[in-house]
Amino acid sequence: MTERHLVGSAGPETLKACCAAAYETDAVALLLGDSYHPGGLTLTRRLARALELRPGQVVLDVACGPGATACLLAEEFGVHVDGVDLGTSSLARARARAAERALDDRVRFHVGDAECLPFDDGVFDAVVSECAFCTFPDKARAAAEFARVLRPGGRVGITDVTLDRTRLDPGLATVAGSIACLADARPASEYAALLADVGLAIVVSEPHDEALAAMIDQIENRLRALGIVATEGVGFDLDTILRYTAAAARAVADSVAGYQLMVVSRPAAKPTTTARTMPRRATGPGAASGGS
Amino acid sequence: MTNADLPRQKVDRAEVFIEYTKSICPVCKVVVDARVHVRENKVFLWKRCREHGSFEALLYSDAELYFDSLRFNKPGTIPLETQTAVERGCPLDCGLCPDHQQHSCLGSIEVNTACNLDWPVCFADSGHQPDGFSLTLAHVESALDAFIAAEGDPEVVMFSGGEPTIHPHIVEFVQLATDKGIGLVTLNTNGIRLAHDRRFVAALAAIDPKPRIYLQFDGLEEATHHKIRGRDLRAAKAAALDHCAEFGLTVILVPAVERGVNEHEIGPIVRFGMAHPAVKGVAFQPVTHSGRHVPFDPTQRVTNADVIHALADQLPEWFRVSDFVPVPCCFPTCRSITYALVDGDQVVPLTRLIDVEAYLDYITNRVMPNPDVRQALEKLWSASAFAGSRPTDAHFDRLGCAACGIDRPAVLDALAEKVFMIVTQDFQDAYTLNVKQLMKCCVEEITPDGRIIPFCAYNSVGYREQVREELSGTAVPTLVPNSVELQPVLITTRYGSKTVADGNGTRPASRDSTNVGKGLR
Repeated sequence: MTERHLVGSAGPETLKACCAAAYETDAVALLLGDSYHPGGLTLTRRLARALELRPGQVVLDVACGPGATACLLAEEFGVHVDGVDLGTSSLARARARAAERALDDRVRFHVGDAECLPFDDGVFDAVVSECAFCTFPDKARAAAEFARVLRPGGRVGITDVTLDRTRLDPGLATVAGSIACLADARPASEYAALLADVGLAIVVSEPHDEALAAMIDQIENRLRALGIVATEGVGFDLDTILRYTAAAARAVADSVAGYQLMVVSRPAAKPTTTARTMPRRATGPGAASGGS
Repeated sequence: MTNADLPRQKVDRAEVFIEYTKSICPVCKVVVDARVHVRENKVFLWKRCREHGSFEALLYSDAELYFDSLRFNKPGTIPLETQTAVERGCPLDCGLCPDHQQHSCLGSIEVNTACNLDWPVCFADSGHQPDGFSLTLAHVESALDAFIAAEGDPEVVMFSGGEPTIHPHIVEFVQLATDKGIGLVTLNTNGIRLAHDRRFVAALAAIDPKPRIYLQFDGLEEATHHKIRGRDLRAAKAAALDHCAEFGLTVILVPAVERGVNEHEIGPIVRFGMAHPAVKGVAFQPVTHSGRHVPFDPTQRVTNADVIHALADQLPEWFRVSDFVPVPCCFPTCRSITYALVDGDQVVPLTRLIDVEAYLDYITNRVMPNPDVRQALEKLWSASAFAGSRPTDAHFDRLGCAACGIDRPAVLDALAEKVFMIVTQDFQDAYTLNVKQLMKCCVEEITPDGRIIPFCAYNSVGYREQVREELSGTAVPTLVPNSVELQPVLITTRYGSKTVADGNGTRPASRDSTNVGKGLR
């Protein structure tokens, strides 16, 4: 799925940087189109509704990519959004998108690491992270960070790839290890357990395997289309890749791989009315770049 | 205990009532109120004429698809000029009148009534007839000028008939339309002259840009040809296609699909077309029960949904029902289109590469990711799109960049070249006519007197008979659909079509049978 080979032996830091870089390449844009995660903006809207977002609230988008979700949340749900990502060119595109839509007063983007979020405690009403939790090398730490920046009673919305590695086709298992989003995907129950460990309780958990199936289908068709129109070859072994996409489609059909929408909440503190303020940008090591 | 002792029970209707609209009586053509309802997942139009009783016709054989299609509807464009005033109300003021909701994507000019065949199925009721008409260059010029005045920059003009290729001046007509700057000129033909007259094909191909060929092509089996066209024309079709390939004329195959005749050939026709170098697409048309046709049951007719399901069933390795997206410029239940990239056995529908539905849904979709992509898709999903033509190829190039991430010029050239188009277009007849759809029609008949009449009104309301009578100088009876239920009252006209015994001279009345011009008190 990426031009660079992400090998299992890469260290966590290399993997994170690699993963962010991979999502910035044209090859990925070609295969995934506008929608960088299964379910596209339709599933994003569903997630936003499950979070019960209200105008004026402040939302953090972790691994925000080129900003489609952040802009959608601001435009359609009237919230303020801070997006963090490790990919600087994705962030540049995200800022351009927000500026183009005159949202730059409400949507800001920062270089930041999910495992060390550059924000103070308890400043967000909601955290969203789409198709990204599975790629974080230290998931427990990322979960703890989500809980930390969330206000009491706030919610985290995650959509992510699920994978039952014990039932994975051996041929695909080899490849899965080298594809960022599959390398460390877990069953939905494990995600829930990781979140429960930091005090985040399940509010909604619903499977959207059809969204993953549709995305694999789109990738397969884009590859085949490229094979049809590329007169001088596509630069890689199309047949081999198409065998992998077919195996991936089978894995989804057999419920070995899937896609899950989860909303978890931080328990409410004693009932007080807290003033809504924009999160203050911290000066942690990851927060080199501020918003506009 | 007898039945008389039981309490009377209310019962439910068999149908779900959907809406109230207007239609015409298929016999006398008077305007009547009509209802649309759903029964057993099928959509029907029901109406009642004071004189001729009630009628029901199938509109769409998959209610779920019908309702899903309604969101693919966009605001109409107002033409630069209209030709008539609103006097009697739709559909009696054609046209176009200022109430019409859309401009014209395609204008058709029928140049004659003569045909080198006398087929059992012909919506234009043409054939070897002594009393028809043949347009002059002056007629065609005035029709073109009216179209240009209305559209400014017309997208498509189609020459039809009769059989337009046997008109002695057809090449001049095509040249004239081209000289007047029409974006795309197409010729709607049975292909017989293309098969037997290479010099004629060469003359057409010498016009720049080359006209495009709409070739009637009902199937690959002998039995299909006999049932629809009265003789086996397979050799002629093959020769016509080969001549078109030889001279670089691109072709859209146009199968008329009739229940129980050639539904099973829908997949094979697409497969055949993809393999032929001249063919850039297939435009399926459920048989229009206007003009001349075989007896039919209006509640069992073929609809767009049947064509789409048949394609998905017969070519499951290539197509799904969801690959077909309704066209938003006309009323969305009238026409659905898909495009595919084709290279031998490799077929990739465009809908798998781009979320076409998200771009063409004007009702429920609130956020538009990319206006350039929508504009290109609007042009591809319209009645003026014709795969293999310069304007349509250009829209594909724009899409290639914006939506697929492909931006190398060499690749884009290959992209347009490998595009195949599949259309299904259900024209309305006197049974199915729904003014709601008619008011948004964008496929029109241009008449020499400068009117621009929606094609389905032209065929079913009485305009065709009116124009033929004016141009030929002979009386033309009002045509009545050859339906099974009307057989007892039908008589055959001298053209092979049907009318009723007292039908001669019957004209659309301006008076509705209900709800016109009167209050309760």
